[in-house]
Amino acid sequence: MLKFWQQKGSSQMKLAKILLGSAVVIGSMAGVAHAEDARVHIILCGDDTWGGAVNDAHMGEWEAANPGFKTDIEYVPWGQCQEKATTLAAAGNPAAIAYMGSRTLKQLAANDLILSHDLTADELASYAAPILGTVTADGKVWGLPRAFSTKALYWNKDLFSAAGLDPEAGPTTWSEMLDAATAVKEKTDADGFGLAAASFDNTMHQFMNYIYTNGGEVINADGDIVFNSPNNVEALEFYGKTLAAVSQPGPVAYDRAKLRPLFVESKIGMFVSGPWERNAVGDAVNWGVTSMPAGPSGGPGTLLITDSYAVFKNSGVEEAALSLAKYMTSPDKQMEFEIAAGLTPLRPDHAEVAKMRAEDPTWGAFLDAIPTGGPEPFVTDYVGLQDVINEAIQAVVLGEATAADAVAEAAEALEEYK
Amino acid sequence: MQSLGGRPNIFPYLLLLPALLITLLIVAWPLTQTFWLSFTDSSLKPTTNFIGFDNYEKIFAKKFPEVIARTFYWMAISVIFKMVVGVAGAMLLNSAVMGRGFFRLLVMPPWIVPIAVGVFMWRWMYNGQFGMISGVAQHLGILAGPFEFLATRNSAFYSTIVTDVWVGTPMVTIYLLAAMQSISTDLHEAAWVDGASRMYRFRRITLPLIMPAVATMGLLSAIWTFNSFDIIWILTEGGPRNATTTMIIDTYKTAISRFKYGEGSARAVMIVIFLSSFAGFYFYMISRFAKRSLGK
Amino acid sequence: MINKYKWWEKVGIYFGIAVFLTFTLAPFFEAFLVSLRPLNKINSIPYKIITEGMSFDAYFTMWKNVPKLHLYIWNSFFIATAVTIIALIAVIPAAWAFARFEFKGRDALLGAFLAINMVGGAVLIIPLFKLMSAFGWLNTYWAMIVPGAAFLIPTGIWLLRSYLMKIPRELEEAAWVDGASRLYILRRVIIPIAMPGIVVVAIATFIGAYAQQFLFALTFNSKTDLYPLPVGIYQFFGRQTVVWNELMAASLVGILPVLIIYIFLQRYIIAGLTAGAVKE
Repeated sequence: MLKFWQQKGSSQMKLAKILLGSAVVIGSMAGVAHAEDARVHIILCGDDTWGGAVNDAHMGEWEAANPGFKTDIEYVPWGQCQEKATTLAAAGNPAAIAYMGSRTLKQLAANDLILSHDLTADELASYAAPILGTVTADGKVWGLPRAFSTKALYWNKDLFSAAGLDPEAGPTTWSEMLDAATAVKEKTDADGFGLAAASFDNTMHQFMNYIYTNGGEVINADGDIVFNSPNNVEALEFYGKTLAAVSQPGPVAYDRAKLRPLFVESKIGMFVSGPWERNAVGDAVNWGVTSMPAGPSGGPGTLLITDSYAVFKNSGVEEAALSLAKYMTSPDKQMEFEIAAGLTPLRPDHAEVAKMRAEDPTWGAFLDAIPTGGPEPFVTDYVGLQDVINEAIQAVVLGEATAADAVAEAAEALEEYK
Repeated sequence: MQSLGGRPNIFPYLLLLPALLITLLIVAWPLTQTFWLSFTDSSLKPTTNFIGFDNYEKIFAKKFPEVIARTFYWMAISVIFKMVVGVAGAMLLNSAVMGRGFFRLLVMPPWIVPIAVGVFMWRWMYNGQFGMISGVAQHLGILAGPFEFLATRNSAFYSTIVTDVWVGTPMVTIYLLAAMQSISTDLHEAAWVDGASRMYRFRRITLPLIMPAVATMGLLSAIWTFNSFDIIWILTEGGPRNATTTMIIDTYKTAISRFKYGEGSARAVMIVIFLSSFAGFYFYMISRFAKRSLGK
Repeated sequence: MINKYKWWEKVGIYFGIAVFLTFTLAPFFEAFLVSLRPLNKINSIPYKIITEGMSFDAYFTMWKNVPKLHLYIWNSFFIATAVTIIALIAVIPAAWAFARFEFKGRDALLGAFLAINMVGGAVLIIPLFKLMSAFGWLNTYWAMIVPGAAFLIPTGIWLLRSYLMKIPRELEEAAWVDGASRLYILRRVIIPIAMPGIVVVAIATFIGAYAQQFLFALTFNSKTDLYPLPVGIYQFFGRQTVVWNELMAASLVGILPVLIIYIFLQRYIIAGLTAGAVKE
């Protein structure tokens, strides 16, 4: 348009400039509260009962510092939020930011749907390295970790006493765990352990704990599938056969959510879950919690699961979204959110964490294992991977295959999903 | 009311206009897109390439025939049970006992409740340790210990069928009940006067006369059952080890869960093909059966 | 005489009905029990019907914890009604056309409509989403109403058509001879006579719409104010714990409106199905 006016001569140019100039002035005088604020659509999972007020406060702060943008939070139920965010992106109508399980980031990145984040060396260092591992692929950070959980072993002190075990001694190795479970199963009318083997996703999560405490891996840093290893065969044998034998009957019908009621009713001696069980179980049972026991071929470890903020391409407000995501997950803001929502702290070196530990020593079971923990396997087809591993587990639990065969078969199938 | 004076009659087509419009818009158009997509490698990637029959080859290389067989088997058993339960229920509700109006009302809830909610209740009931079925059975001594209905291949397979039958029972029962009531009482009276027992009347009068209704309901039911998604998904997500993975579950997992739209579309096309062939075969059998029984 | 049962026949019938109804209602009974229990005592091992601490609390707290619950129930109702109306507009003329008129491609079209039932909505979701987006219907009621109607129309056509085929043609022919226009016939002759059948279709469509609103409502709509009940209920699935008692309470309360409607219209359903929708 400028060229056209240039051709017409200088007086008209002057007129144009004046008009344009006044338009700009008038526009900016309309102020921040103009109805044309760009909408930053944010998809969050669940509802606003966990840290929702903190979210709103932080977003308000960011909006004040970034005029011209209005945040618009949409809460979607847990089972559907990830799918909805992806569906919207696939249909060309992405949200600006979405709360996604970090496991999905690699697939989103591979399909060129999200933006990577630029973090300074300091910012990177504030996260524990394994945590960064859950969001990093090809050297780039694809999501800013927002929620975090590790897993630990809960045990029922009363059942332990009844079985002749020391109620204060949580198992530290797999063989101790097996002995305790066997004792509980034989000497009380409860089952020794709560095993999850249903077709839902947390079966694989449960099993990953055993892979990581036995020196195994699914996919290594170079992106090769290394699932077929003696460590993993040992782990699957232990999980699917040995431990299953002293667990509640019919593990294939159980996912982690169904194990808590069993634990609360003192029907199982032990089970593995995240920090939230401490509140959920409460006083119903006299419980103790300790880090995941180590396997014969490995050391302490745990499964690190993060959910992150993913910033989508083509939302029209990418820069704003990147800025907002970074703001919300900056050390102090993130800490506020974690406390309000009852989550495991992402930055174990933050000053607040020492206070948390002092007030509630059970945090130790969840925080100590972070340095040696492993992430959810970072692959492009997560659901495919999950199905394959779940099938392997079920095959062993149902007695339809040996651990060695199941692992080998799974490893082959996994090649397709990386 | 046919065309007068030889002019081609467009009036029927006008009548069809609203229905056609909506259907073309909501179903036909996306369906053609799905058909098109089945020949591509569409996924989350921004670019889509035409790959011919690759998706279809992949499907058959990968145990899909097993899924097809399983789907038909699941559907057949579920429909048979629905018909049996429906006929039994209709018979019971047709009898002249007190309170039958009330009972007919009580049959409805499984149809009215949102499917997802109903299936959740069933999932809870199937639990071995705190579910109603296992609990009551243990109480009555039928079971020695808790039994996990969804934990093994066979029990999961049949458990999902039971829930599916539950969902379909109200509609089938009411439909067949209406069919029974439309049988002229003269026929029954005549047989009764001749000394026929209830059983006999049922076998020789009621049953044959409601057969057309059973056939219709059977087909509709088969079609819905074939595509029955929520029930299996919420109960087992296709497990254990694919024991309950039917074609629609497989399609959903591929297209939606794993975002492989191309492959998922190919499966969807297969579903339509198989279902249409089945429906065509069914019609053929019914018309042959009708011809034969008319000729008797 | 024909309906006089011997005593043992009566017992047998009542027993049969009891078994039948136990099958249909057991899950609701269980849902009701769960809705009465406090959250930390939802389950008991071994299975007990009466557990300790039962109360109706959940029925009151659920309105607080999911503040828009009444809105969701209203939305479900509204959407189902709208779907029914649109479906009827499409179904009535179409069923008449299939039942009475001979025209080219009639059987093929009828088969095609039936074939629609064969396609699940779940697989068409992405193309449908793009369509809704193009029309600007996202986040409005339309995106939930129109697709819902589309998938319920085939069954409606099928049901009403068989009903109409039973009505004697003489009435229409008499009116035609008297000089009535076709539209007039449709309005003043067909519809009144076919009312029972239409009511059946309306009720079946309404129930279908009410019960099946999940997928489209979830994907095409982001405004919580527009959620129908099945989607709203999913909000009871919190991060780690499911508030089972409130969920069950909300579900039971949610189906009450439809149940009440059905009670009032029950006569018409049986009458409609009886008078002719049934035989093929």
